[in-house]
Amino acid sequence: MNPMEPAAPEPIIQVHGLSKRYPQPDNRKANFLAVDAVSLSINQGEIFGILGPNGAGKTTTLEMLEGLNDIDGGSASIAGIDVASSPFKVKGIIGVQLQANEYFDHLSLAELLHLFAALYNRSIEPSELLAKVNLTDKEKAKPAQLSGGQKQRFSIACALVNEPLVLFLDEPTTGLDPQAKRNLWDLVRELNSSGMTIVLTTHNMEEAEILCHRLAIMDHGKVIAEGNPSELILAHAPEPPEMPTHGNLEDVFLALTGHELRE
Amino acid sequence: MIVSSLQLQLAWVFLKIFLRDRQSIFFSLFFPIIFMTVFGFVSDSDQESISLGIANADESSMAADFVEQLRADSLFEVTLDSESNLRTQLEAGDQTLVLILPVNFEVDPDAAESTALRLLVDAAQVRQLALILPVLEQKLLAIERQFRGIAPMFSLQVEDVQARSQRYLDFLLPGLLAFTLMQLSIAGSGFNIVEYRRKGILKRLFVTPIRPRDFITAIVLARTAIVLLQLTVLIVFAVTVLGISIIGSFSAFYFVVVLGTFIFLNLGFCLGSLAKTQQAVMAVGNIVIFPQIFLSGVFYPIESMPEFIQPIAAALPLSFVATGLRDIANEGASLFAITPSLIGMAVWFVLGFVLATRLFVWKEVAN
Repeated sequence: MNPMEPAAPEPIIQVHGLSKRYPQPDNRKANFLAVDAVSLSINQGEIFGILGPNGAGKTTTLEMLEGLNDIDGGSASIAGIDVASSPFKVKGIIGVQLQANEYFDHLSLAELLHLFAALYNRSIEPSELLAKVNLTDKEKAKPAQLSGGQKQRFSIACALVNEPLVLFLDEPTTGLDPQAKRNLWDLVRELNSSGMTIVLTTHNMEEAEILCHRLAIMDHGKVIAEGNPSELILAHAPEPPEMPTHGNLEDVFLALTGHELRE
Repeated sequence: MIVSSLQLQLAWVFLKIFLRDRQSIFFSLFFPIIFMTVFGFVSDSDQESISLGIANADESSMAADFVEQLRADSLFEVTLDSESNLRTQLEAGDQTLVLILPVNFEVDPDAAESTALRLLVDAAQVRQLALILPVLEQKLLAIERQFRGIAPMFSLQVEDVQARSQRYLDFLLPGLLAFTLMQLSIAGSGFNIVEYRRKGILKRLFVTPIRPRDFITAIVLARTAIVLLQLTVLIVFAVTVLGISIIGSFSAFYFVVVLGTFIFLNLGFCLGSLAKTQQAVMAVGNIVIFPQIFLSGVFYPIESMPEFIQPIAAALPLSFVATGLRDIANEGASLFAITPSLIGMAVWFVLGFVLATRLFVWKEVAN
């Protein structure tokens, strides 16, 4: 294959007009749209980032794709399978890491991995999976004994038991120190290099800029910009006309979502 | 109900989780064991002798003889002392009764007039006195007959048709086991669900292709095994240490235990699905648990309750389980003989199962 002419990107996740209504916190009778007609097309083999301030609807969007949350409007499909009508089929081909990553007490990492494999009707070799996420020799450890970064990597190991086509990561590096953060990025790149599509949400601009191939920026339940990081910077970063460099992604983010504090 | 290999595999995992939680297994047994032991001692103390103080002012041989007669009776523990000393002891609660023999105690057995014996009591112990006074009167009558040399006209020969001794503890134990079973089961499903939700574990499970019924079945199987283990420890303790006898068959007894466990695990799932926080599940759990402690014939028979409460009390799930267990343990009833209780349990089981599967909706319970 000519590296200059990559194969035409093939979408693996297709989202059309996806909506989610919730009752308003201060007035239970009125609804608001937590996710408002979101359309996305995520290609096979890419690392796709969803950026947005707190409450923008990132997690709700992911939860609808994962079958965790009912879809109130629009449609979503993963690998051609409709999420709303075949949620269990979709769950079989995706891997999910949630924001909360607590597990059953009293079980070792190996036992937890066996448990998750059983839920997919598979058998796995815990040591191989743990080696993949850089947790060799931790088979007998309990999740409570792991550090923040180790916990996140273990969550990813759990999400890999079914060799998923798409891996969803919800704020995977929130709360990690710089070393653990970079370690996790390496892991994400490594998984992606084997062809796995990865969808992640983040607040971290650096992460979005250097890890993600393409991005969607969400605010108030809507996608307000989409593209690869450099395109977004070109299009949206406020221009200091004489400067050859055009600011960074954080400028894009703030220009689009404003400086007002959220939650 | 056919159990799939996935459900068994999951049940095995939950069994491991529950078994490794040694602290909670230990403490869940601690309370019932203390309870049984205390009740065991309380009901044994009924056999204790009555402490009787006698102030004998008369020096006649007849008075001495009278005192000897009372002393010889194992029902009484006799202390001889002066009236004032005994009075102090009575006030302090060291004596139950104080009997005062007057100076002119010796009278002609054929005299028409009776000798007044003063009895000092502490009226605060009314309940005990009601039981003790007839015993004392009986004794006095017997002594009188002996002095007068006459035989009693009638004698009662008591024949126990049950031909075995039944203590309160024998009555209590099956009810206490039923109660423990209820608590362990409701906590074992309902409280666990809420805990798993709080930690986000339910959500994590829900993004895998597992079905709710697989999850519920696995927890029910694992919890049932744990509850059986806990109850077996209690039964062994009751039989070996407290000397309780279970007259009916153990297999019938365990059958009812398993059925009862299923009922309360299902009800626990309902609670866990309805209540969103640990505090809420505790509160709702108490609403379910407390009335049943008092109304289900655990501590005293349903028949002794007010007329209008009885039908309600008898329809509670714990009543069916407690009555069933009691009939088997105390009367040696077969499963066939306790059909009414079994039907009651079956109804509650179906009701609980339908409710649990309706209420336990992944999306709502997990979020």
